[in-house]
Amino acid sequence: MHSSNILWIIIRRMRTPFIVIIVTFAITILGLVIIPGVDAQGRPYHMSFLDAFYFVTFMASTIGFGEIPYEFTYAQRLWVLFSIYIAVIGWFYAIGALVALIQDKQLIEQLRLAKFSRKIKDLKEPFVIILGYNSTTKELIHKLNEDGKRIIVIDKSQDKIDELELENFMPEVYALKANIDSPDSLKLAGITKRNCKAVVALFDNDFKNTKIALLVRLLNPKMNVIVKSSTKEQSEHLKNLGVKNFINPFNLVADRFHLALTAPNLWKLEMLLFQHKQYIKSYEELPKGKYIICGYGRMGKVLKEALDKAQLESVFIDLKSASYKVKKNSAIFGDAQDFKVLLEAGVKDASAIIAATKDDLINLTILLTAKKINPEIYTIARENTNDDITIFNSAKIDRAYIIEEVISEHVHRQISQPLAERFLKELYKQNDKWGLELSKTIRTTTGYNPELFEIRVVKPEAYALTDYLKKGGIVNLGLLARDLSDRNRRAKLVFLMVKNRKEEITLLPDDNYEVKVSDRFLIAATKEAKEDFELLVNNLNEFHYAISGEELNNWALSKILKKKES
Amino acid sequence: MNTQKVISGFFIILAMTLNFGFFYGDIDNFAHHSPYELFATIVVNLIATVLKLGDKTQLGSVLLATSLVADIQLISAAIVWGISVYATSGGIQDSAQIIVSLSGGALMANVVSVILFMGDTLKSKR
Repeated sequence: MHSSNILWIIIRRMRTPFIVIIVTFAITILGLVIIPGVDAQGRPYHMSFLDAFYFVTFMASTIGFGEIPYEFTYAQRLWVLFSIYIAVIGWFYAIGALVALIQDKQLIEQLRLAKFSRKIKDLKEPFVIILGYNSTTKELIHKLNEDGKRIIVIDKSQDKIDELELENFMPEVYALKANIDSPDSLKLAGITKRNCKAVVALFDNDFKNTKIALLVRLLNPKMNVIVKSSTKEQSEHLKNLGVKNFINPFNLVADRFHLALTAPNLWKLEMLLFQHKQYIKSYEELPKGKYIICGYGRMGKVLKEALDKAQLESVFIDLKSASYKVKKNSAIFGDAQDFKVLLEAGVKDASAIIAATKDDLINLTILLTAKKINPEIYTIARENTNDDITIFNSAKIDRAYIIEEVISEHVHRQISQPLAERFLKELYKQNDKWGLELSKTIRTTTGYNPELFEIRVVKPEAYALTDYLKKGGIVNLGLLARDLSDRNRRAKLVFLMVKNRKEEITLLPDDNYEVKVSDRFLIAATKEAKEDFELLVNNLNEFHYAISGEELNNWALSKILKKKES
Repeated sequence: MNTQKVISGFFIILAMTLNFGFFYGDIDNFAHHSPYELFATIVVNLIATVLKLGDKTQLGSVLLATSLVADIQLISAAIVWGISVYATSGGIQDSAQIIVSLSGGALMANVVSVILFMGDTLKSKR
C-alpha cells in the first residue's frame, strides 16, 4: 500500500516534466530533420532521425559534442540556437523537478512509512506497542528494553520521535510518527499481527486511553490492552469494554500504602518484587499514629480509605492545587494562613503528614512547612513526575510515591514478569507472619539485594533439564538448588513460586517438588547464583554433575586415560 | 466541458490516427510509409502515456498498459529502422515488413486504448 503511494507521488510530480521533455525534444528533432544541410562535398542532405536524436540528446544535457555529422549551415544553426534554449530549459526544469521531488516532505514521509512497515513485517519476535512517548512510557521502554523485549512506539510529534531515536535503544525500538488514535497507524504498527503481545496507553487523559482501548478491542478483540485509568467511572467503562488490564495508579499506591501500614513484611516483599534496592534493610516502617492528608483528590480519597481500613485516625485538609494557585497567586505553600490551617488540623500531635495534591511544588512546601512546626513528623509526598525527583531527595522527604514510576513498574511487570505479577496477588492473601519468615529466608540465603528472575522448563530456556525430563528422568527441585562448585552446598537461591502446565500455583515449593516440563519458576537469587542456575539447567555437563555428583565423561581422551588407569 | 478530457482524448485519438497513417499502405513499399509519420506517432504516443500516468482507477491502469504496449512496439520499429539503415548492408527495404508490422501491432494497442477511452466517456454521466 505504501510503496504504491510512493510511486503515485513520483508519477504525479513528474508528469509535467516528462511532457515538457518529450515536447521540446520532439520539436527540436523534427526541425533538425526537416531543415536541409550540406555534406562535406557540398551536396544537400537531410539529417536522419538518429543523427538528430543523438545531437539533441547531447545538446539538451549541455554535453555538446559539436556539429555532426557535417558542419551546420546557417539555417541549421539558427534552428539549433532556438533549440538550445527550449531543450536546455526543458531539461533543467525536469532535473530541478526531480531534485525537488527527492526533498519532498510527502515523499520522505511515505518512504519513512514504507521503511517502518517493512521493519514491522520482518519482526518475528513478540513485541509490544506503546502509544505516546512521555516520561512514564520512557521509563517503561527502558525497563522493557533491558529485558530484551521488542517495542514499537507511536507518537504524534516528530520531536518526541527524534528524542527517542537519540536514546540508542538496543535492540532497536521502532518509532512511528502518526496519529495515536487512528486505526490506520495502529494497523501499521502491527496490531493485527500474531506476535503483537500487548498495546499500552498511559496518557494522563483518561478519555484518550479509553478511546484507544475501544479501538484496539475492535481491531483485534484478543489483544491484551493495558491502559491507565485514574477514576472509578473510567475503570467501569473499561470493564464493560472487556478490558482486563487497567492501571489505576492511585489504587496501586493506596494498596501499597495499606500493606505497608498493616503488614510491613509483606510490603517489603512487594518492594523486592519491584526490585527496589535495599528493600529489607533500610525501609523504615510507617508510624502508627494520627495522619494528616492534604488534598482531597483522587489520591487523597483512596489513601483515606486505606487508613480507615487500617483503623488509623486521619484528618483532611481540603486543598486543591489549581484553586490554591489562583487564590494565592503562588505555588508555594506556607504563609501565615497556611500555618494556621496546619495547626488547626493538629500538626503538632500528628505522627505523619501526606501531601497528595496534583502540584509537586505545593506538595513539597506543605511538607516543609509541616516539618517547621513539628520536626518529628513523618512526611509522605505524592510526586507526580519523575523530573522532580532530585528536589524531593534533597528535601529529605521520608517517603515519596512517584506516580509515573508506579505506573511504569506495574506495566513492566505485567508484560515482562507475569509470574511476579501472580506472586504479588498471592502475597496479598498471606499474613504478615508469613511475610516475615519469607523475608528472613530470602535475606539469609541471598542477602539484601537478590535478583528476581523467571525461567520456564522448555528447551530454549532450560535445555539440559528439559532434555532429561523428556527422556523420562525425574528431578526433584532440591537437586536444582546445587552450588556448581560443590554440589553438597546449596546455591544461594530461593524458589518463590511454581506455575505448572495447568496454571496451578505452588507457593514456595519445597525440595521434594517434582519438576515437570513447562513448569515456570519464579526465583530470587544472588547474581552469581542466577548465572549458575541458568548454566545448570542448560549445560549437559553441569546438569549431570548436579544430579549425580559425577563428571560426565564424554571426552574421547579422558575415556582413554581412564582405561589406562584401570 | 472538461479540459483534461479534451487534452487526453486528443492525444489518445491522435496517437491512433497517426499510427494508422503510418501503417496504411503497401507493406514492402517504403514510399507509402513516411519516417516523419513514425516520428510523430512515437512522440504523440509518449505524451499520451505520460497523460495516462497516475490514474489510480482500474480503467486507468489498463489504458496505461495499452499505451506502454504501443510505445514498445513503435520504439522497436524505430530501432529496427535505425539499425537497418546504419548498421546493416541490406538497407531499409529489407526491414520494411518488420517495421510496418510492428507499427501494426502498436495500432492494435492504440485501437484498444481508444475503445476503452470511449467506453469510459459514454459511461460517465457528467
